[in-house]
Amino acid sequence: MAINEQMLKSIIEDVLKEMTGAAPAAAPSQAAVAAGSVKLAPVGDAAQGTAADEVVIGLAPAFAESQHETIIGLPHDKVLKEIIAGIEEEGLKARVVKVYRSSDVAVCAHTAAKLSGSGIGIGIQSKGTTVIHQKDLPQLSNLELFSQAPLIDLETFRAIGKNAAKYAKGESPAPVPVKNDQMARPAYQAKAALLHIKETEHVVEGKKAVQQQVSFV
Amino acid sequence: MIIAGIDIGNASTETALARYVDGKPAFLSSGIVDTTGMKGTRQNIHGVFASLKQALEKAELAVEDVDLIRINEAAPVIGDVAMETITETIITESTMIGHNPSTPGGLGIGVGVTVDIREVNNCDKGASVIVIIPREVDFEASSRIINHAVSNGIFVNGAIVQRDDGVLINNRLDKKIPIVDEVSLIDKVPINMRAAIEVAAPGSVVEQLSNPYGIATVFDLNSEETKQVVPVSRALIGNRSAVIIKTPAGDVKERKIPAGQIIIQGTNKKAQVNVDDGAEKIMEAIRSVAPVEDIKGEAGTNAGGMLEKVRQVMSNLTDQLPSAIKIQDLLAVDTFVPQTVKGGMANEFSMENAVGIAAMVKADKLQMSMIAHELEAELGVKVEVGGVEADMAIRGALTTPGSDRPLAIIDMGAGSTDAAIINKAGEIKSIHLAGAGNMVTLLIASELGYEDMGLAEDIKKYPLAKVESLFHIRHEDGTVQFFDKPLDPRTFARVVILTPNGMFPIPGNDSLERIRTVRRDAKTKVFVVNAIRSLERVSPTGNVRDIEFVTLVGGSALDFEIPQLVTDTLSKYSIVAGRANIRGVEGPRNAVATGLVLAYEEGE
Repeated sequence: MAINEQMLKSIIEDVLKEMTGAAPAAAPSQAAVAAGSVKLAPVGDAAQGTAADEVVIGLAPAFAESQHETIIGLPHDKVLKEIIAGIEEEGLKARVVKVYRSSDVAVCAHTAAKLSGSGIGIGIQSKGTTVIHQKDLPQLSNLELFSQAPLIDLETFRAIGKNAAKYAKGESPAPVPVKNDQMARPAYQAKAALLHIKETEHVVEGKKAVQQQVSFV
Repeated sequence: MIIAGIDIGNASTETALARYVDGKPAFLSSGIVDTTGMKGTRQNIHGVFASLKQALEKAELAVEDVDLIRINEAAPVIGDVAMETITETIITESTMIGHNPSTPGGLGIGVGVTVDIREVNNCDKGASVIVIIPREVDFEASSRIINHAVSNGIFVNGAIVQRDDGVLINNRLDKKIPIVDEVSLIDKVPINMRAAIEVAAPGSVVEQLSNPYGIATVFDLNSEETKQVVPVSRALIGNRSAVIIKTPAGDVKERKIPAGQIIIQGTNKKAQVNVDDGAEKIMEAIRSVAPVEDIKGEAGTNAGGMLEKVRQVMSNLTDQLPSAIKIQDLLAVDTFVPQTVKGGMANEFSMENAVGIAAMVKADKLQMSMIAHELEAELGVKVEVGGVEADMAIRGALTTPGSDRPLAIIDMGAGSTDAAIINKAGEIKSIHLAGAGNMVTLLIASELGYEDMGLAEDIKKYPLAKVESLFHIRHEDGTVQFFDKPLDPRTFARVVILTPNGMFPIPGNDSLERIRTVRRDAKTKVFVVNAIRSLERVSPTGNVRDIEFVTLVGGSALDFEIPQLVTDTLSKYSIVAGRANIRGVEGPRNAVATGLVLAYEEGE
């Protein structure tokens, strides 16, 4: 993915260099090169949503704050961008909240689902574990669970956003194919535990979910 | 004296247990289990044991108490089903993209020359282009490039995108253009060709590109060329988005696939018909040569292979030479099968015509007497082969309250549809026809594109519902049912089959309405057609209207809608038709077993 990104950048740069006379309009392409990082700005307690066309994304305490990439090194801003893009492609809106009272992915997802006007929420841990949840389900149940964080790539994150949006529309999407690798557990168990402990350190008991203003800079 | 009547059917083995007092039978209990093995083979004995045991337990009796077991002289009939696709769609020179991405971007129609997005800035100022966006260029970059090109005076009039990015790109454009996305084989899109893209508003379909004159307007075609684009426009009817690319020799063709001939040998006539002529022609040919003696397929063709397979199965079953096996009836049904379009750029599917065929084979005799011998040896109870299946079924059916001679029965099973009629004098005439429950399952599976026959079988058997929230479902007829506890999350937002073991979610994106229509059509095409066909054959005058009373028996008569479909159709012929209720308690089940017990009384 990273290679493709770089290739693309160089191609765009080449194209721009070859262009003559179009120099003044080169500015916007500069932004494309700087496929920047995500910036989350808290804007107060997350309110109960009423819009039926929203999907709420609940981020675990450390997401994009003290941790910045998933267990396999996917930058959090790209992860968030793909999920939001998946939701947007289906014609819905994404709302991002930060959950502080637990680092459990089920709690993040269920909190998001309960806040969501459509009743559909997505919970993500900093290490990448993701759940699609629905407000009426028991907390430990789910619509789709992606428990093996090391196997979730950006394309899967896009598909997760897309599917969540489809559930919100009342469609019946085919579940995102869950990859399974027996070696993922032994290879990543220690790192996963460590990341989870680090995330749990940022838990603030009793703190309400905080609405986030998302900007990609 | 205690008598057990045991009916070995294609799908279930049923027992009726009765005590004869003063020459009058008093029924004690019934048993039903799945038939073990293929009907008429040694494996059936296990099923017979289980079924008998079930009935005995209910009556609190032991095997030693039984004085006589009567088993049926099974009609040596088996059915088999097959499917042949007879048309295919081929796109040459990548002329069009007619797939239906769920979320195309933008709106309207755009015309221009195709160009790779990475080279769009090399185009002349004022040029009209359609950009092609491969996987490597993401939505942010591509929307920036398009906005940049537009501000430089290049008219970007549309986009063809490989990833599912249509809406995302559209949301970031200053000037809205139609965008078709999810074109998986984008490298096959020719560059530097004139192309037109149309995207319709949600809920509507393309109008310009599905109209030959619309295409002519866009591409400045003369009348001769307009004639040639008709297949292209036809292929795009009903889509929400479409792309047409004008290449020198591009075309869309619907081709017939030769599937071979079927040769029908009647008693005094012979007919030949091509399978790809469709079901109507085949059925017409069969009707024209009736009564049928044998049906053969042209050697070396798909039709030939299919009919030979049926013959082979039957010959193994009866220990007869394949040449001695005669196919005596055939039911052909027109259907549709989703198939990938050849030469398509987005893995488009098109519903191709297909013919489903059920064949019915009759042999001399099944090995029922062999089964009777073995049973007798194992149980130490006298076992006899009771009588012809259809006769027994009619005797059993006559125990339905409100029925009397003359009476016709239609036995709708899994492999064949049988009909019999008894007149006032007690004479019985019977017939076996191809096509029954298994054919319906095949039609459902092929039309919905399922590989899993079990799923199609469940769709056939049980009603559907849509899970609208975790606390309520909407049934087929629109009624809403609420639940106190949340439903299984796997059923959320899905169409489910309401089986007795709970809700089963149907994979895929088909709507409840579509699945229901396919299911009902399949049942009508097989059972309603066969009901009429069979009654025509057994009617003393050859006219369905001369039959007054019809009862439906057999497993498929238990279906939740087949009896209604048949009753409804037969009422148009002013026939009283309905589901049998054997002995007033068994419903359409147990007719043959009951008949076997009753026949003993008459035989004495």
